[in-house]
Amino acid sequence: MAEAIAVPQAKPIPSISQFLRLIPGIALLAAVGYAGKLLEQNVGKYAKAHHWTFPNIEYVLWAILLGLLISNTVGVPEIFRAGVATYEFWLKAGIVLLGSRFLLGDVLKLGGVSLALVAVEIAVAIAFMTFLGRAFGLRPKLTSLLAVGSAVCGVSAIIATQGAIEADEEDSSFAIAAILALGALSLFTFPLIGHALHLSDHAYGLWAGLAVDNTAEATAAGALYSDAAGKLAVLAKTTRNAMIGFVVLAYAIYWASRGEAKGIGNKAAFLWQKFPKFVLGFLLISVLATYSFFNKEQLTAVANLSRWAFLLTFAGVGLRTNFKEMRKQGLRPFAVGAIGEVVIAVVTLGLVAGAGKLFGF
Amino acid sequence: MSRETKAVAIARRPGLSLDSWAVLLAFLAALLVRAGIFRHIPW
Repeated sequence: MAEAIAVPQAKPIPSISQFLRLIPGIALLAAVGYAGKLLEQNVGKYAKAHHWTFPNIEYVLWAILLGLLISNTVGVPEIFRAGVATYEFWLKAGIVLLGSRFLLGDVLKLGGVSLALVAVEIAVAIAFMTFLGRAFGLRPKLTSLLAVGSAVCGVSAIIATQGAIEADEEDSSFAIAAILALGALSLFTFPLIGHALHLSDHAYGLWAGLAVDNTAEATAAGALYSDAAGKLAVLAKTTRNAMIGFVVLAYAIYWASRGEAKGIGNKAAFLWQKFPKFVLGFLLISVLATYSFFNKEQLTAVANLSRWAFLLTFAGVGLRTNFKEMRKQGLRPFAVGAIGEVVIAVVTLGLVAGAGKLFGF
Repeated sequence: MSRETKAVAIARRPGLSLDSWAVLLAFLAALLVRAGIFRHIPW
């Protein structure tokens, strides 16, 4: 399961030797991502020159497909694994830099809409996943982990909750595998559904940010649709991520009240510890961009840095997804996750359609 | 040292989280752009 769940959440500063160990994997992320970019530029040209009908495939999908191909054929050799696991680091850095493409007014308006939708999505997801977990006879803590993973932010939320409710590593592993497998499926299904329903960039981006669980997959699913949809997906997903502390705290209190986890002493400190700091970074860069800290050329440069960071992330999404490893985790958690995700996707699509009518997008 | 003890020891080691390092790196890069050290980032 190492490939599928090698996601660092909060680690201390690495020493020089640990840092050097990351270099091969980071170089692999860069090579796969850049190859995806080259394929986007050249395959279309080649097909056109030879009068072939070939769909325009964006670098996002090429990078993910190349990563999937490597991971599921030759596999990712040990020397690259530590560096490949840094894709979450590049994702967070990319999200912070993406803040430069939002004016604060837009963040507040869209963030406010997202926040209202996120509150409904979290309530529905937790209630429905808990019901499904019980119906399928899953262990209660595994059900809690799946509910948090699908309601808030996938793997990060599961890891944060595992510690807080003292769940077994096996439960955590099951829940992460289910969420990752469903995230991989969403990369291919969401853009198809979005195009079939003729969703606007705005509506699709909000939907992907609300319904796709893992931040990396939500970012990729948005970017696969369009650049504008990618921006909106990140904003909606970041709003969801900001809720992680409250949801984990609620679960910790619930399990402590049943005598199956330790109580939480300082709740404010707990919330701050769990709060994703990159959300604050995103907001601060947006404030700087709004008040002209950067000129136009600098804003373009910062936005391009964000794209490069996301390129490494998309390569990492493919490289860390190993279907064989995921299959070993069993069918029931996956079935619960899959049924839950379909319902959450339908509910959030309805929410987005309703919000679209209200706010005109 | 058991796995649990190791995990506690790692968790208590002082230092910034990966999350915070990502924020710092992003701000450093943005400041370098603002200072004119990175003038043009191609895409």
